Amino acid sequence: MKTFLNISLAAALFVGGVYLYADDDEMEHARPAYSKPLSKQDQASAALYKKECGACHMAYQAGFLPKRSWDKTMKGLDNHFGTDATMDAADTKTIQNYLMTYASKNDRITDMKGAVALRISQTPHFVKEHREITQKMITQPEVKSIANCTACHTKADAGSYREREIHIPNYGRWE
Amino acid sequence: MKYLTILLIGSMSLMGASTEVVQYMNELSSVAKTENKSFAGFDAARGKEIFTSTHTGKQGKPMSCTSCHTSNLSNSGKNSLTGKVIEPLSPKANPQRLTSVKEVTKWLKRNFVDVYAREGTAQEKGDVLTYIIKN
Ligand code: HEC
Ligand code: HEC
Ligand code: HEC
Repeated sequence: MKTFLNISLAAALFVGGVYLYADDDEMEHARPAYSKPLSKQDQASAALYKKECGACHMAYQAGFLPKRSWDKTMKGLDNHFGTDATMDAADTKTIQNYLMTYASKNDRITDMKGAVALRISQTPHFVKEHREITQKMITQPEVKSIANCTACHTKADAGSYREREIHIPNYGRWE
Repeated sequence: MKYLTILLIGSMSLMGASTEVVQYMNELSSVAKTENKSFAGFDAARGKEIFTSTHTGKQGKPMSCTSCHTSNLSNSGKNSLTGKVIEPLSPKANPQRLTSVKEVTKWLKRNFVDVYAREGTAQEKGDVLTYIIKN
């Protein structure tokens, strides 16, 4: 219970922040991109984001995609990857604002030839990081989709993607 | 009549839906009456058919409410599109269910579209809620 509380506290304080680029030891302890404490209002928006955008899959951290990606996603919720993910106008607006605030500032997706990435899993950086993953690791029922981050990254929900926390079902640890 | 409604609300909430959701079902009932002259109240058997039958969904593939919620409403289900676990739908197994009209209307819209590629009618929504409450 205590651990759970700690994790959710950390998640609440650091939403939007992601431990990225932990390839070398120095970076492994890099602080999340947004470590400043959130205001009360931002905490409420973050909680709403987690609830609404975490209902069908993990609530992906905002820092994985730039503004224009999230903007496009939020404008197409009636046909969201083949499903209807609409919600009332007030909640849509709150989440839209939240994503705009915590989106990635450096648009790492410039090499997508002008296309706006809707999937984190199709961004060049992501593809490069996951190039050693085999189709069998992904298609097995315990994982199902590369979008199912938590199946392999055991602390993805809390925004942590460190190598030592990776555990691929039926294959084991990555290190 | 007023007395009867209160009684109805009381007995329904014992069965698992909140007062707010029961009121929503009363509204659905009024709409159903205007849309279907022979409407004589919601029916759990029709609701079961709505819930368990297979249709061509939004993605053009066979889908059913049971694809995600399973046919045992007291069990956890699994989102057939993402693999994420879904807590039981039955209010008896999961007291959080059918307590918020905002949640219920949001999901009924989404889920009817997923399975039927269209929104549900007032009668269909009331029938399926009646089925869920009774299971
Ligand atoms: C009704 C269910 C549902 C809701 C609610 C929902 N999503 Fe999704 N989302 C999906 C499905 C289904 C996929 C496709 C999953 C797959 O390919 O494995 C998806 C995929 C995604 C992806 C792409 C993942 C990747 O990198 O491949 C992003 C980003 C995303 N959703 C963001 C959001 C945001 C933001 C919200 C809240 C506004 C949201 N989702 C709410 C069902 C949902
Ligand atoms: C099938 C298992 C699997 C899935 C699913 C998966 N990953 Fe990964 N991910 C890995 C592995 C393994 C690595 C390490 C690759 C390496 O270091 O060679 C990795 C690396 C990463 C890294 C780099 C971490 C670092 O050390 O710099 C990030 C960030 C990341 N993943 C995010 C995600 C996100 C976000 C998702 C979901 C949209 C996701 N992953 C889904 C297995 C997975
Ligand atoms: C693609 C998967 C999927 C399908 C198909 C599906 N549902 Fe759902 N349903 C969900 C998810 C996910 C939730 C929200 C889960 C949660 O709150 O934990 C949900 C929630 C609900 C709720 C809200 C209950 C509450 O008060 O919290 C109702 C009612 C419901 N579904 C009914 C239906 C009906 C009726 C159908 C068929 C027309 C159906 N569902 C088909 C995934 C699905």
